[in-house]
Amino acid sequence: MKVRHLCLAAALAAICAHVNAQALRVITHSSFELSKPVLDAFQKETGIQIAIIKSGDAGEMLNKLILTRANPIGDVVFGLDNTLVGKAMDAGIIEPSRAADGKGARYALPGGVVSTDYGYVTLNYDKAWFAKNKLPLPKTLDDLTTPAYKNLLVVENPATSSTGLAFLLSTVSSMGETRAFDFWARLRRNGLKVTNDWTQAYYTDFSRNGGSRPIVLSYATSPAAEVFYSKVKLDTSPTANLPLTGSVFLQVEGIALIKGGHERAAAEKFIQFMRSAAVQKDLQTTMWMYPVMKGTPLSPVYGYAQEPAAHQTPKPEMIQRNSQAWVKRWVNVVLR
Amino acid sequence: MRRGWCAAPLALLFFVVVWPVFQLFRQGAGALSFDFLGDPFYRWRLAWTFCQALLTCLLALGIGVPVAWVLARFEFPGRRMLTRCLMLPFVMPTLVAGIGVLALFGPNGLSGINLQDTPWLLLYGNLFYNLPMLIRAAQEGFARVPATRLAAARTLGASPWRVFRRVELPAAAPWICSALCLVFLYCFSGFGLALLLGGQRYATVEVEIYTLVAYELNLTDAGALALSVMIMTGISALIYAWLEMRLGRAARGRAEPRRRTRGWHQRAMLGGALAIVAVFALAPLLAIVMRAIVPDAWGVLSDEETLGALWNTARFTGIALVSATAFGLAHAFALRRSAWFRALSFLPYAVSPVCMAFGLLLLYPGLGASLIMLLSAYTVLAYPFIARSVSAALDAVDEHLPAAARTLGASPWRTLTRVLMPIIAPALARGMAFAAATALGEFAVTLFLSRPEWMTLTTLIYQHLGRPGAENMNAAMVLSCLLMLLALLAFIVIEWPSRREAPCSN
Repeated sequence: MKVRHLCLAAALAAICAHVNAQALRVITHSSFELSKPVLDAFQKETGIQIAIIKSGDAGEMLNKLILTRANPIGDVVFGLDNTLVGKAMDAGIIEPSRAADGKGARYALPGGVVSTDYGYVTLNYDKAWFAKNKLPLPKTLDDLTTPAYKNLLVVENPATSSTGLAFLLSTVSSMGETRAFDFWARLRRNGLKVTNDWTQAYYTDFSRNGGSRPIVLSYATSPAAEVFYSKVKLDTSPTANLPLTGSVFLQVEGIALIKGGHERAAAEKFIQFMRSAAVQKDLQTTMWMYPVMKGTPLSPVYGYAQEPAAHQTPKPEMIQRNSQAWVKRWVNVVLR
Repeated sequence: MRRGWCAAPLALLFFVVVWPVFQLFRQGAGALSFDFLGDPFYRWRLAWTFCQALLTCLLALGIGVPVAWVLARFEFPGRRMLTRCLMLPFVMPTLVAGIGVLALFGPNGLSGINLQDTPWLLLYGNLFYNLPMLIRAAQEGFARVPATRLAAARTLGASPWRVFRRVELPAAAPWICSALCLVFLYCFSGFGLALLLGGQRYATVEVEIYTLVAYELNLTDAGALALSVMIMTGISALIYAWLEMRLGRAARGRAEPRRRTRGWHQRAMLGGALAIVAVFALAPLLAIVMRAIVPDAWGVLSDEETLGALWNTARFTGIALVSATAFGLAHAFALRRSAWFRALSFLPYAVSPVCMAFGLLLLYPGLGASLIMLLSAYTVLAYPFIARSVSAALDAVDEHLPAAARTLGASPWRTLTRVLMPIIAPALARGMAFAAATALGEFAVTLFLSRPEWMTLTTLIYQHLGRPGAENMNAAMVLSCLLMLLALLAFIVIEWPSRREAPCSN
């Protein structure tokens, strides 16, 4: 009886392994989303089977790839951004793609990673709260450390959230290291609230969703998403961006070949597909990022979100060299 | 034959839990170092983790024992439904439970009390999950005190308080103690709830391990921390197993029948107990239901996405239930003689899920995103409930029964199916109900690789909460209500055949 079970298990395992070997394995972070018709059309046209494999937050996903580099778990990785690409290059998990030239793209990524979309991490505020409390909006980041804005801000922890890391990086880039950490220390004394990830900050602490904090660290497209998902027709978004200098981070996301992966030809096709007009249009309202290809029309709902005029983003090499130390210092200054 | 039984669960634990985690930490350093103990930050984390687990135990003891006594002694309309509802907290995804708790005691909470950034929030969350378990265990202990013994004590002139203190409490103590071990174990190795409610200061060691592994790939410190958690949980699991083996003797004599309340003080006791259950176990669930009652929000139930998730949830829970039952029975039959092997069924809790997830990837990269891996993870996390429940029932079986069957010429198989199985059936059903509920609401599985086509209700809730917009929040709350309903259904359907209980006397 037992032998039969073992055979069955082995057969099942073999079937699973077989199915995986045939399909193109695309490793993504947990926020990856494209409309089903768009993905289906690609599979039909090219005859390539795609297996989307979600691997947690972007940072977690990269660590999984680094850990398994001797025996990769996928062929293509989507979702490496300018905060992670340096680490990915150092770990040697990427193989440069032939499509890597930045032709037609607004922003490029180093190391053979093909940029596909971009967005801005920035502060959002709850319009109703500020109207009700008759408080003027802060003009600078330093305003947030004054008594008038005590206990109003919630941000994500840079040690566990890519959003949090982006904010930390833009403060350091804009103020310099010494002043930035002094700012964080003052922010802490002024009742800064820190959460582990975006969901917690947005859904448990942001005043719009029942929390007590009217300013939240989120994305520049969040106000548009608020309108898009609302079933009641809204004329304006209930939230808006607060792009104070030092709080705007340009995040460029891309797709890359995983070193040691299979199905190279299919992988290259998929990379090109991510830059195709269909995907560039679709990702705007599924992943809430701006299309990287010039000339892609913006979805009308993006009228509810202003693209920040300026951003404070360090270069990828600078991020790679310092981010670990900065995060450690941030944890010491803000949390311990 | 016994030896043969143990092969399957041991192999499962070894290949899915032990070996992957070992491989992961071998990658990390080679040299295990406890230097981190010199860091006051880690010392605080360990000390706090220990304290919050201990405090939860003490609070659960003080609050839960009187409630359990009332529920065991008095009959009232809706009692059975209440005991089922008591198990609901257990199956709620932690993020949703956390939101329920925050809706009550967060800023702008319904209660008007803001506990955020205090240790009380996590302690309340711990009680929400664990108090019902202690109440159920203690209730069972109290219900087993023979009626004759109570009658004798009363005849000899003992006051009700004295009867409680000298007869009932000592008789129920093993059940209470074993439940306390479990509470300690769950709280000490708690992850999801602490991640959400602990904030930055009152998080537990597991949260630290998660950060170290997932975001820093610092396997040296993570390994040392994980080992210290495993030692602590291992000790409490061993104590639990040892206690459990001692309390399994077959109950003799008729149980004390439940009575209807008489007089104002009995009614007050019942009212108090119900109030405590309402405040600790049901209030956060009600808060979620209240947040889900929004016009137009229920449309999400007919989304294609929701229906797909519902089908996956049913499918995975079904398969997990079948394999968990097989492994659970094998574990229970094979290993019940040894406290060590019994304690082994706690291994899946002692090991931090993120270490398991990373270890599995490292060891089986080809199977990383396969269904078989997902179902193994479900099985590993669900089967201990069945193993524990069945082994407890087997302890209570009179040794002479199977012996008599064998003497009368029954084959071992016949003895098993015709004598043992009918006796353990109710316990098996209870274990299966828990296993199904765990599989329904399993949060840890979200740490493993997942594929969009495998979306379950739990992951769908997380997906909605990962997008901005009030509609998404409402959808998440509605889906949580659906999950609650399904869990309740699992309890009702699976426990159906064993619903006969001692008749109550009026």
